[in-house]
Amino acid sequence: MREFLFYFFAALTVVPGLFVAISRNPVNAAMNMILSFIGLAALFVMLESYFLAILQVLVYAGAIVVLFLFIIMLIDAERAPKSGWLTSLAAVAALALMVTGLLTLLYSGESGTFAVAGETAPAALSQTFGVELFTRYLLPFQVTGFMLLMAMVGVIVISRKDAAEDKGGEA
Amino acid sequence: MDAEALQSIVATNQWGAIWPEILLGCLAVVLLFVDLFTKSRGVITVRIAIWSQVLLLVFLLGRFVFGSASGELGSHYFSGMILQTASTEWARLFFLFASICVCHIGGVYLASRKLAKVEFYHIVMIITAGLMLLAQANDFLLFFVVLETVTIGFYILVAYARHSRFSLEAGLKYLVMAAFSSAIMLFGIVLLYGVAGNPNLPMTASMPLNFDQLAAFIAADDGSIANRGNLMVTVGAALVLIGIAFKIGAVPFQIWVPDVYQGAPTPVTAFLAVASKAAGFIVLFLLLRGPFADLDFLWVPLLTVIAVLTLLFGNIAALGQRNVKRIMGMSGVAHAGVLLLGVLAAQQVDWAYKAVWFYLFVYALASFAVFTVMAHVAPQEDSDQSLERYDNLIRRQPLLGTILIIGLGSLAGIPPLAGFVAKLLIFVAAFQAELYTLLGVALLGVVLSIYYYFAWIRAAVMKHPFVEDSETAEIPSPTFGSKVFMITLAAATIVLGVYQGMFAIGG
Repeated sequence: MREFLFYFFAALTVVPGLFVAISRNPVNAAMNMILSFIGLAALFVMLESYFLAILQVLVYAGAIVVLFLFIIMLIDAERAPKSGWLTSLAAVAALALMVTGLLTLLYSGESGTFAVAGETAPAALSQTFGVELFTRYLLPFQVTGFMLLMAMVGVIVISRKDAAEDKGGEA
Repeated sequence: MDAEALQSIVATNQWGAIWPEILLGCLAVVLLFVDLFTKSRGVITVRIAIWSQVLLLVFLLGRFVFGSASGELGSHYFSGMILQTASTEWARLFFLFASICVCHIGGVYLASRKLAKVEFYHIVMIITAGLMLLAQANDFLLFFVVLETVTIGFYILVAYARHSRFSLEAGLKYLVMAAFSSAIMLFGIVLLYGVAGNPNLPMTASMPLNFDQLAAFIAADDGSIANRGNLMVTVGAALVLIGIAFKIGAVPFQIWVPDVYQGAPTPVTAFLAVASKAAGFIVLFLLLRGPFADLDFLWVPLLTVIAVLTLLFGNIAALGQRNVKRIMGMSGVAHAGVLLLGVLAAQQVDWAYKAVWFYLFVYALASFAVFTVMAHVAPQEDSDQSLERYDNLIRRQPLLGTILIIGLGSLAGIPPLAGFVAKLLIFVAAFQAELYTLLGVALLGVVLSIYYYFAWIRAAVMKHPFVEDSETAEIPSPTFGSKVFMITLAAATIVLGVYQGMFAIGG
């Protein structure tokens, strides 16, 4: 049963993921992305990482995809044009190469024997994340803050209306 | 986790160790407030931005030269995520210097354009703080977060001239390519993380992202299994190196360089060409001397092929360019090739490491001199700078013409300018390391580079018979501050051509 569920949710993650890439309608792509995220969240549940699963649904399937849909609506994205046969061929070849590479990496035996995953998930509790984030990883956390500040300033700079600029930047 | 273990972790979070970076970040925020509460747009903020950084630079330089920092060198902070050595001090000075130059060129560029002013300096300073941290990173987690901070800053800066279609196109291209390269690098990091945490292999790292632990893991060999032959280790390391090759614009990962360099505003092109590239090389050194030191069977052939391609492609592609920003882009690719030669030489000849540092400084001086001239000469549409625009520059603006000749001469490697000595040092190191094939290619590259640099110089000193005077628009005289700035850069280029003693300091 457990194995069946794993393959089911893995397929639910990967197959919509493929459709995100090849779907020509951007709204369909975003919807497929939600499906893919839900599959991923289910995989986290199977690993007993409930906190990550909730975050995955709340943040990614909830907030980020909604943001994507907003942007698609705002810029009124049209259907992507059909790609030429050369592009499709290149994409298929790249996919085949990557899959071969991954399989070689995993099953050729050159990567050493793999360890069996432990019974309990180390990152099951939100407390684990909080403690690590504010002790050991405090510096990267703070750097991320500056990154977001700069990104916000940048978005304002690039998208600000001209009228405000003509008055000398007062907005 | 119990309280004592937490205490011991928190005790290593010594914020005082990275005060220059924190100060820069705070200054960046203060700038926004200064702009909010003052009326004179842009004038005060650029002065604060430049002079505060000059003060910081002078202080750091003094601390470095007179050695009061040496007691702290070689120490780890933030649970081993930060490692400060003499070369990270060099990196701090380098990036701070680059930031000052970019702020100045930015001031020149923004003065004549209707664009947001203070945000430019804000972003430049946060990027600089990020670059300074990047050089001290000793952990892939911090490394990646800081690298992304820097990259996101560059996304914004490249598309900064938002009325220009070139700039927006460049921004989009840079966004796609940089995100792509970050993804490749992240995939490599994940593979390394996964394999280093595997308990079935000799030596399992408890913190597999830490450079020291990763180095110990890769070096581990229990007789029957050697980790360096592990496929996951080699693939992961190769992917990380490819991600860095994207950042330094080495062939075959240089596709984005010409368009992005042309489309980005001139100060941003300068920032990309100098600071971003230098960051790539510093990171390369960090990794090759740290975690990947035992993987030389992998990266020596990989980087050799990349270096040959880079040297040939960069120089040959620059030959046919007429747009000076594209020339700087392609020649920058060629300079990356020379630096890669230095990196490879450093594997056998230890002092080549310092030769690379010297080359980076000299390249920065000459590039910033040339880019400042470009910012003055550039028309309103900044991307459209053909060689014709420089026609007879030496008579129209003698100072700009002279600075341009000194800068280009140094980039081409003409004695007695510093560029000559920098190239010579790297070539001697390569000769001692017995990299004869690479050396031959590099020498060929130098010959080729003289052609396109001198085509530019010829345009600047001669009057082209078929270019009408009306086509060469009036070029405004640089301000006094800008003159002093350019003369300083040019003077430093000449002085470093005859005296290189200060680079013996530290590490």
